[in-house]
Amino acid sequence: MALSKEHLLKVYEDMLLIRRFEEEVEVYAKNGTIPGFIHLSIGQEAAQAGVVDVLKDTDYKFPDHRGHGAIVLSSKAEDRKRCMSEIFAKASGINGGRGGSMHVHDLSVRNMGFNGIQGSTVVTALGTAFNSVYRKNDDVTVVFMGDGTLGEGTCHESMNMSATWKLPLIYVLINNHYAISTHYTESHPQKQLSTWGLGYEVPSFTIDGNDIEEVIEVTQKAVDRARKGEGPTLIEMMSYRWQGHFSGDPAAYRPDGELEAWKEKDPLKIAKERLQEKHGVTADEIKAISERVEVEIAKYVKFSLESPVPKPEDAVKYVYTDREVEGR
Amino acid sequence: MARKISFSKALNEAMIQEMERDENVFILGEDVAKMGGDFGITSGIWDRWPNRAFDTALSESAITGLSCGASVCGLRPVAELMFADFITVCYDQLVNNAAKLNYMYQGEASAQMVVRAVTGGGIRCAYHHSQCIEPWLMNIPGLVIVAPATPYEAKGLLVASIRNNNPVVFLEHKHLYNIKGEVPEELYEIPLYEAHVEREGTDITIVAAMSMLKFAQKAADEMAAKGISVEIVNPRTIFPLDKETIKESVAKTGRLIVVQEGPKVMGYGAEIGAMLGEELFEYLKAPIKRVTSLDTPVPFAPGMEDYVLPHYEDVITACNEVMAY
Repeated sequence: MALSKEHLLKVYEDMLLIRRFEEEVEVYAKNGTIPGFIHLSIGQEAAQAGVVDVLKDTDYKFPDHRGHGAIVLSSKAEDRKRCMSEIFAKASGINGGRGGSMHVHDLSVRNMGFNGIQGSTVVTALGTAFNSVYRKNDDVTVVFMGDGTLGEGTCHESMNMSATWKLPLIYVLINNHYAISTHYTESHPQKQLSTWGLGYEVPSFTIDGNDIEEVIEVTQKAVDRARKGEGPTLIEMMSYRWQGHFSGDPAAYRPDGELEAWKEKDPLKIAKERLQEKHGVTADEIKAISERVEVEIAKYVKFSLESPVPKPEDAVKYVYTDREVEGR
Repeated sequence: MARKISFSKALNEAMIQEMERDENVFILGEDVAKMGGDFGITSGIWDRWPNRAFDTALSESAITGLSCGASVCGLRPVAELMFADFITVCYDQLVNNAAKLNYMYQGEASAQMVVRAVTGGGIRCAYHHSQCIEPWLMNIPGLVIVAPATPYEAKGLLVASIRNNNPVVFLEHKHLYNIKGEVPEELYEIPLYEAHVEREGTDITIVAAMSMLKFAQKAADEMAAKGISVEIVNPRTIFPLDKETIKESVAKTGRLIVVQEGPKVMGYGAEIGAMLGEELFEYLKAPIKRVTSLDTPVPFAPGMEDYVLPHYEDVITACNEVMAY
């Protein structure tokens, strides 16, 4: 399905926002401003931007640990800077500094947050999908996962249940080829991981996850199907992370030339070429998008740097809903 | 109006009355719907509410994961773990997810779910159907572990657990299912986090939960005949513990015995002992005693299992020792 010029321009800008967001996060992770570790999704922007583009604010989203992009794009414009300041461990962060890179959530747009355990949200997502059936509404749930996630036993339990109960759940499996250093063909017998869904009689597709038009087309079909009560879909989106597993991982396990080959399939490059060649978008229009994104990102970074850190003693808040935990 | 019903019936009544009151409450688990549960605790629910009672595959992670997700949407799942031992195959959802959701969501939503787990030994089913799992969960801030000892507590604590907004692991000791006691017909809550002084006394405090309460009561009677006055504290909520009630009691008696099913190592007796050592050292007139199971898996052969589980005689021995110290 070819997108209209306006639609493609919009999602191109979304992807660029993710790219620049991640690049800035990397800068501040490497210089020590951001504590802990960071998983970057540079190279995987189309899968995140495309899926979020199809969803409504009322749909439930479970991003994965490499999911800053999906999180930022799900958020309301005024909250996007708070996604970054959360990663900076600041009080203004969308989780008040409790979660960080791996747990950014925003319930106002039903971004349910990630969970540091692979395969965990794959079963939690059953609950939000179940809720739609229980309450008889048409909200769908999307759970993002990776090729590595599929090694977890919870994936079986989840798909077995969602398929049996026809839950409105879409499994977006971004296959970036590596679970840290292990290539998926070394840990799974299938050539394509989408064949996993066939044993559950779940419609399953492998698509080019770097082609945002394809991502949107297939996701839209899966979402439509889920809204009609026809059950889950599995979409394996082939992609590649340009960085190592975490910021700072030199990724020495990758064969020479692999990264360069994937950079040729850069989702931003593909979309830009299409905009220029098919839709006659000019270099000036592309430049204007870049400038808009730079202004946005600069705002997020400034806000993140200037925000105060959380009060340490607030660490004892919210352990329970109805009782206090002793502080120091 | 109170009438005598079984512990099982009290649990069943709690769920049915809560489902009548709140349409967000539903039940799920293995064989809980059409069959009414392996122990019959959910019987009759599916007949009344076929759309609110769900038989699942043998998928404890999916059961607890679904419960987490649904509860964040405002539903109130009551899941059953047919045997508490099975918690190992859904431990991640309880420990890493349910216990952290309120913290992650900063109070905007929480895992307002109950996992009913059938616990304890004595039914000759060996080490995968007999364990006391509470120590596996007791250092997970965010979780609540509730442990009723009587039919009255079974109903009132289950109602409170269903209404509570934290994830509650609700322990049901198999040996208690058939005991009968007075239970009001109407809905009532017994507050969580509050221990109950079952019997007042001045010489020894015995802390005992679930099926161990009967040991404590029998021992108190036996010691009373010898002129020794035993106070019994039933924690009701095992975690977080009501430390104040236990401390008040031991400050008065100066002697503590914890009777606990399950291995001695790192049980709630260990936590209570450490707490009193830290905070009530000068009040203690004798060493703290723990009467527990042995530090072994629970064996199958009846003679072997009885050997491993706590012995009533050891409670009496402990009482005599703390008095003689």
